[in-house]
Amino acid sequence: MIGARSIAEPTIKDTIIHRMDPRAKILVLISTAFVAVTLDNPKTMFLLFLIVLSGFALARMPAIKLKTLTLLLVLLIWGTIYSQALFYSQLPRTVIFTILDPDFPVLGWLTNGGLFVYEEGLRHGAIQGLRSASILSLGLLMCWTTDSRDMLNGLVGLRVPYSVAFMVVTAVRFLPIIITEVVTVVTVQRLRGFNPKRFGSGIVKTSLNILTPTLSNCVRRTGTLAVSIQSRAFRANPDRTYLKKLKFSELDKAMVTVCIFAAISIVTIKLLYNMYTSGIYYTSGLRPVYAIARGYL
Amino acid sequence: MKNIVFFFLVLMLAIQPAAAEEFKPEDMTTFMLQVPHGVEGNGLAVGGSNLSAYLFFESYYEGNMNVTMELDFPEGFVLRDTPVHSFSLQTEYEDWYRLVDFYVPADISPGTYNITATAVVEVEGNKHTIVRGTRLKVASREEIAGEIAVSGLTVPSDEDGYGDHSHPASTLVIRETSPALKKLLKVTDLQLDREELTSTYIGVELTNKGDSTVPVIITYDVLDIKTEEPVKAFKPAIMGMNADTLCYATVTLSPGSSSLVSLPLYISEGAMGGEYLLRVKVKLTGSDWVAVTKDQKITAISRKWGPIIITLVSSLLGLTAVSLFFSRSKEIMDRFKTRNLVLIALFGTVSFAAINLPMTILWELSHAVFGPFSFLFTGLFHEILLYMLIASLVVLIPKPGVVSLFMMVRFLLGGFITGSFTPITFITLSLSAVVLEVLMYAAGITGKNPAPENRFRMGVICGIADMASGYASFSVWMVLYRLFYSDWYIMANILIDGFLYTFIGAWFGISLGNRLKKVAE
Repeated sequence: MIGARSIAEPTIKDTIIHRMDPRAKILVLISTAFVAVTLDNPKTMFLLFLIVLSGFALARMPAIKLKTLTLLLVLLIWGTIYSQALFYSQLPRTVIFTILDPDFPVLGWLTNGGLFVYEEGLRHGAIQGLRSASILSLGLLMCWTTDSRDMLNGLVGLRVPYSVAFMVVTAVRFLPIIITEVVTVVTVQRLRGFNPKRFGSGIVKTSLNILTPTLSNCVRRTGTLAVSIQSRAFRANPDRTYLKKLKFSELDKAMVTVCIFAAISIVTIKLLYNMYTSGIYYTSGLRPVYAIARGYL
Repeated sequence: MKNIVFFFLVLMLAIQPAAAEEFKPEDMTTFMLQVPHGVEGNGLAVGGSNLSAYLFFESYYEGNMNVTMELDFPEGFVLRDTPVHSFSLQTEYEDWYRLVDFYVPADISPGTYNITATAVVEVEGNKHTIVRGTRLKVASREEIAGEIAVSGLTVPSDEDGYGDHSHPASTLVIRETSPALKKLLKVTDLQLDREELTSTYIGVELTNKGDSTVPVIITYDVLDIKTEEPVKAFKPAIMGMNADTLCYATVTLSPGSSSLVSLPLYISEGAMGGEYLLRVKVKLTGSDWVAVTKDQKITAISRKWGPIIITLVSSLLGLTAVSLFFSRSKEIMDRFKTRNLVLIALFGTVSFAAINLPMTILWELSHAVFGPFSFLFTGLFHEILLYMLIASLVVLIPKPGVVSLFMMVRFLLGGFITGSFTPITFITLSLSAVVLEVLMYAAGITGKNPAPENRFRMGVICGIADMASGYASFSVWMVLYRLFYSDWYIMANILIDGFLYTFIGAWFGISLGNRLKKVAE
């Protein structure tokens, strides 16, 4: 069964991916996100997606994680295909199905000429879905191969203020407790005759009935927790020490260098190419660069 | 008496006309025959053409002349006008011209025909005859199609038809008129209609491989690449006129020569990006028959300023806010007590547990089932629950910065647990945080004397902020993820999801906050 646990919990193993420094993972993820939103060539986008997926093989992910990933990817790509099939606004476009006729009363006018499923939109959605799929897959790979504490150490290592990192640590630590509380409250509400799936005003009522006890517990817990951490000298000194020191390995350094270099190069090339196509800036010396952007990116 | 005779003799000599200059027909006239009009030398025609022959006569003689001109066409040609024309020229440099329409029947035998024009010039009672002749080759369609070729097609080109390396080949850029330009035009009272602007030119190089001079008309169509139907957006009505009346060029091709012509290409604002087929057609003057066509695939790139500017501004706003926070993090964080930070973190956890985690699958599932209309369903959970939490948190901690910290915890938590470190999430959340902070502070909900209990005010503020971030989020999807959304859909989404659901969530969030306040007390 694919549930919250299979999404949220990391799988700790000793693989090349697991051993990577969390800071390196964050930097690789950010670089990849830049590359993913920059690319336009379907083949290169697919290649990027395959490279990201190969990370799952290297990390020897268990079957449940792979099932979860597959489900999320299928839903994500299908969702993009669905929306783009309806809203595709490029030519040529071939109507393969009419959802709403342009002459349909009121809705035909509201939708500015009906709603159709376009063949080319399906293809466009599938290609563009690869972009989100690459980012999601790499994000999940990062989360599933890194302990949340290491990740937070990585954040602090990347100069995120400690107070913010502390808030995120607190949030992560309390997540299982709060999930359990929410489940308990929902069960109690059901026993009292509420239907949490009821639409309309039922949703507001159910939300209030679930949130009030859950948040009340949080508010109560806040006082205790605040006293507890203040007594442990929270924010007493500007600098603090950490039990676990993060260290970049040679492989991490190489990975980060390659990813950042690739991201900067691809973004710059595409930026120059877009300036050229928009008539903003052109120089004949950059013609090989334009050719690379047009042919491969 | 002698004196009187002498006076009359002198007077007669004085008033006697000068002796008449001798008339030399070839030297004192210009007589020209062009068949068809515009062709110097031998012309070319195809059966079924309506053409005009051009007759021109000019006098260099200082006196009257009467001219009778006769145009003689070979048998089979149909003259639409009288073949005989008479006229008088009174002075030097006076001229006469006439276009004489004729028809080349479709079934006329191919071959070379002699056409003559005879002018009989009568000067002072003397008649002089001048004859001009030309040859018109009537060729078969196959023959002509083999002689004329479109040897080059440059899109876009400059006004002279030459290609420009600074623009990508076979690519048109459809630009939405810049809002700044529109404003400028309004201010300067130059109400320019976008459709009247020439977007670019097409350069067409034609080659005549034959031995006849060929007058041709060049036109083009931008077609749907699949259906080959003309796309009206590329030939908009200009000043009430059909674009076909402007988008053509005529050229006379000399034997064995090449000519480069340019045609204007207009693009209306409603044009869509994509792949098109540019079809250039070459017709012989006087005939509707298309002698040569040349197709070229072109790509139209749609550049919309609105989403690009919004994405840019939102990204800059988000980056500035984060940079500001990083540079003054100690100052900002010191404003919050430890219990405030813990409470914000726990609210972040609840929002993640109650919204983000279930939505990871629910969002995608509802998207897969309901498609783009899933927002009607997911918004009930996402917007209502989220703004209930935000409003109740602001009731508990009515300080500037509380919403930003809450958003930051959500972003980082989402990134660490579900890997959602995406540009969209960053831009949307940061924009939402900035807009909420500014509006809440301006409305007095947060600040020195905070008043967060007004449900209506909270609902409206949250609604406006969510509408703004929702609109920005669509722009980011369109620009960074190259996705398409209809305007009506964006409007429906930001009104229902962005405002209505958010308003409801914020409204009930005040009740929730007040209840929690009692717990805290």
